[in-house]
Amino acid sequence: MKFKRQIFGFMDMLRFKKIVPKRREALANGANTPIPQEYRTNVLAKKLHPGSMEVELVAIRDLTDRMKEFTFRRVDADAFPFFRAGQYVSLRTAVGESLVSRPYSISSSPREALENKLTLGVEDAGFFSHYLNTQAKVGDRFTMSEPSGEFHYETLRDANQIVCVAGGSGITPFLSMAKSMVDQDETYDMILFYGARDEAHIAYKAELDALAQKGLKVVYVLSDEQKPGYEQGFISAELMAKYVDLKQVTFFLCGPAAMYAFLEKELAPLNLPVKAVRKDATCCLDLPIENPRTFRLTVRIRDQVSTIDAKENETLLTAMERAGIPAPNKCRAGGCGYCHSKWISGDYQVAEKRDGRREADRKFGCIHPCVTYPMSDMEIDVPPSE
Amino acid sequence: MENKGTRQYDVVVIGAGNGGLTAAIRVLQGGYSCLLLEKHNLPGGFATSFKRGRFEFEASLHELNDFGSAEAPGDIRTLFRDLGVEDKVDWIRIPEAYHLITTDKKYDCEMPFGVEAFIDKMEHYVPGSRKSMTEFFELCNEVRDAQTYSNSVNGNTDSSYMKSHFPNFVKAGSYSVNEVLDSLKMPQAARDILNAYWCYLGVDCDRLSFLHYGSMVIRYITRDAWMPRMRSHEISLALESRIRELGGDVWYHSEASKIHTDAAGKITGVELKDGTVIATHHVIANCSPHLVFGKMLPASAVSEQAVRATNAREFAGRGFSMFLGLNKSAEELGIKSHNYFIYDTADSAKQFDLMRKVDTNHVQATVCLNNAFPECSPKGTCMMYFTTMFMSDDWGNVTETDYFKEKDRVAADMIQVFERETGCNLHDHIEEICVASPTTYARYCGHPEGSIYGYLTADWDSLMPRLMMMKEDAKLFPGLRFAGGYAMRSSGYSSAYVSGDISGRQTVGDLKAEVK
Repeated sequence: MKFKRQIFGFMDMLRFKKIVPKRREALANGANTPIPQEYRTNVLAKKLHPGSMEVELVAIRDLTDRMKEFTFRRVDADAFPFFRAGQYVSLRTAVGESLVSRPYSISSSPREALENKLTLGVEDAGFFSHYLNTQAKVGDRFTMSEPSGEFHYETLRDANQIVCVAGGSGITPFLSMAKSMVDQDETYDMILFYGARDEAHIAYKAELDALAQKGLKVVYVLSDEQKPGYEQGFISAELMAKYVDLKQVTFFLCGPAAMYAFLEKELAPLNLPVKAVRKDATCCLDLPIENPRTFRLTVRIRDQVSTIDAKENETLLTAMERAGIPAPNKCRAGGCGYCHSKWISGDYQVAEKRDGRREADRKFGCIHPCVTYPMSDMEIDVPPSE
Repeated sequence: MENKGTRQYDVVVIGAGNGGLTAAIRVLQGGYSCLLLEKHNLPGGFATSFKRGRFEFEASLHELNDFGSAEAPGDIRTLFRDLGVEDKVDWIRIPEAYHLITTDKKYDCEMPFGVEAFIDKMEHYVPGSRKSMTEFFELCNEVRDAQTYSNSVNGNTDSSYMKSHFPNFVKAGSYSVNEVLDSLKMPQAARDILNAYWCYLGVDCDRLSFLHYGSMVIRYITRDAWMPRMRSHEISLALESRIRELGGDVWYHSEASKIHTDAAGKITGVELKDGTVIATHHVIANCSPHLVFGKMLPASAVSEQAVRATNAREFAGRGFSMFLGLNKSAEELGIKSHNYFIYDTADSAKQFDLMRKVDTNHVQATVCLNNAFPECSPKGTCMMYFTTMFMSDDWGNVTETDYFKEKDRVAADMIQVFERETGCNLHDHIEEICVASPTTYARYCGHPEGSIYGYLTADWDSLMPRLMMMKEDAKLFPGLRFAGGYAMRSSGYSSAYVSGDISGRQTVGDLKAEVK
C-alpha cells in the first residue's frame, strides 16, 4: 500500500518533520508559574487516610464494672478523618519494654470525628486492654492508625434491613452504626440484638435508649437475669425471627468466638447466602502449647538487623512487640495485609483459617506476622512502621 | 541493632511501580548498586491485588499487551526473559480481543485476536470494510517494523533510512487515528468498532496519534493478550524477588520526600519522609515530574525550562474502578466476554467530552476474569472489575462527608449501565464490593488528582515526539530520569515496563560515561 493524506506525499513527510519542533515549542511555552504544591483530590486522600495519627486521651469513664470508654482527640491535626461506621482503629503505645498495639472498634460517630472526638469502648480482657483499663490516664499520648476495616455497611451489597448482633463489648461498632444511621450518613434500617449477662453489663444503655427514640430498634437479651422489657436467654434464630424476617436481611455480628459459633449453628437451617452474614474479625491469640520452645528471630528493617527471641506459641508480631520493635500492624487477624513482610528463612505455621495472604504471597514467600507462628529459628524482612 | 548498609547507592529508584521495578533490575544487571524506595508496603503500584472474603481481586490489569506465546514472544515477554522473570510467573492467554457495546448506535460486537479473523469479523459486521481494514493492518505492520528499527538504534534513527524503508510510517506519522482512517476510506461503522481500544490510551481518536494507536492495536491483535494466573501481584513480586536475587535493596513504607542537590544543582541524595537520607547521584523517578520538579527538588535547582515544560503538560484520566465478587458463575449470570468496552457514544471525541464530568460519564472498560481463567474465584462465583476515567479534575469537588455516598453513586451507575446493555443481573448477586476513586489512586500511588494515565498523549505531546525527544527531555535535569506512566512511553502496563527498561539502561549508560 501507499499511504497518502495530502495531494503530494512529500507534504505528509514534511508534516512529520514538524512534530518535534512543535512539541519543543509547546514545552517552552508552558507557564512560568510555580508548579502546584497541592491537588484537591490528594488533599482529600490525606484527610481520609492520614496513615498514623498522634492522639491524646482526654476522658475516661466507666461503662460497666469491667469496661471503660476512652475519648481521644488528635494532636497532629484538628479533626479525625470521616470514616464508615463499624470501622476500627489500632491504638499503640509503649508498655514497659514492649511496643504494643491493638485494634478497637470505634464507638463514636463519623460526624463526631470531624469535631475531633473519637471514642473506644474497651473491655478489660487482655494485656493491652488491661493496661488501658487500669493504668492509662487522661493526658496520655498514643499513636493511632487511621480508621480501617471492611466491617461496615455496603450500600450496593447489603439488604436495607440490617440485623446487628452484639455480644458483650462487641456493642461498640454498632453504637457508631446506629448514630451514623440517625445522622443520615447511612441509609439502612437497623435492628440491634444486644446480649449481656445481666442489666449491669449492658454498656451504653442510655445512649442506645436515646437512639431508639430516633429510629434504632434495640432488643436487649440477658442470659443470667430475668427482667421486664428484656428478652431472656441467648440470641437464637427463633428469638430474632420474632422481630424480623431473617431471610431478607444482612447480618452484622460482633462478639466473642463462642457467639459466632452459636449463631453459625442457629442460622444454618436458613441456608443463607455467604453474603448475608458479615462478622467482625477477632485478634489472633497465642497457641495453646505447653512448654513452648523459644527460637531466634532475625528481623531486618531497612538496613537495621536485630535478633530477638520468639516463642513458638506467640505470633512473630508479638515477638517483635515484646522486643520493642515497631513492626507495622493493624487488624491482628490476618486479613488487612498491613503487616505484609518478606520471609527469608525458617519454618512457620499460619493460624488456622486466618491465612489472608494473596496467592502470589504464598508463592514468593511473603507472610503476615500477625498470624504467623515460628517453628524454627527464622529470618524476616519487615517494613518500618510508618 | 547493627547497621548493615552504608546508605549510599549508585542509583535510587523512587517508586516500586511497573517502571521502577523494571528500572531497578536493569541497573543491577548493569552492575551498579540500587535501592528501590516505595511508600506503600507492597511492590507494583497499580499492579497489585487485594482480598475481600472469598475473592482475590486484580487491582488494575485488564490484559498484558505485546506478550505473545513462549514460541513467538512479543516485546514484553522478550523483556521479561531478559530481566529473568518470565519463568517466575504462570501466564494465561486471553481468549478474545474485546466486546464493544455503544449505547447510541447499538453496537454489540465481539472481536477476535488474529489479523485474518479480525478482518473477517469486521467484514461480517460491516460489509465492504475488508479493503480498508487490510490496508490498516499493513500500515500498522510498517509502524511496528519502524519502531523495532528505532529501538534497535536506541532512538537515533537515520531519517533517510526511515524515509526509504518506512515511507508510510513517516507519511502517516503526524496524523490522528481518525485522519488516517479517513484517508483509508474506512466505512464509519468499521472505524467505530476498530476505535474501541481508545480508552486504553485515554485520548479520543481525533487527537490520538495514529502511530500510538496503530502500534498498540497491531500488538494486541497479532500477539494476543496474556494475564498472570495470580493477578498482577504475581508479576510485581516476581520482579521484586529478582531485584533481591541481584543484590538490590527494597524498602517499603519509605516515601521519598526530597531530592537533595549540591550548589551546582547536582543530585547528592534522597531524603525520606522520616528524615533518613540516602546518598546517591542518580535517581530514577517512577512518579510524576509534577511532584519531582514541584515538590521534591529544591526550587532553586529547577530551571525555568523545567518549570515551563512541566506546566505545559496536561494530566490524563483520573481513575475510578469498581470490583465485584458475585455469588453466581459468569455462565449463570449470562456474562459472556472477558473484556467489555461500553460507551455512551461511538464518537470518541464526543465521549471524551462527556467524560470530563462525573455526572455525564457512563463509560466502562469491564473485565470478567473468569471468562479468561475460570478458576480465579471459587466454583459458583465470578469476579468482575469495572474501570472508567474522568477527563478533568471534577472529582476534586467531592467533599469529605459526601465521599462514600459519591463513590456508591458512581458505582451504582456502573452496575446499572452494564445490566442495561447486557441484560445480566448483577445487583442481586454482589457478595463483595470494593470501589476505588481518584482519591484512592491518589492515596496509594500519590499521583496528582488521582490520574492513572500520566500525561495526556494528545496532539503535540503524543507518543512519537516524546520518543524522539527522549534525550532532550532527560537534559532537563542530568542525573534524573523518569519511568512509569509519566515517562516517554506513556501509560499502561507494557509501556511502563518498557519505560523502566529504557531509563534503567540509560542510567547505566550515564554511570559508565562518568567513569570515562
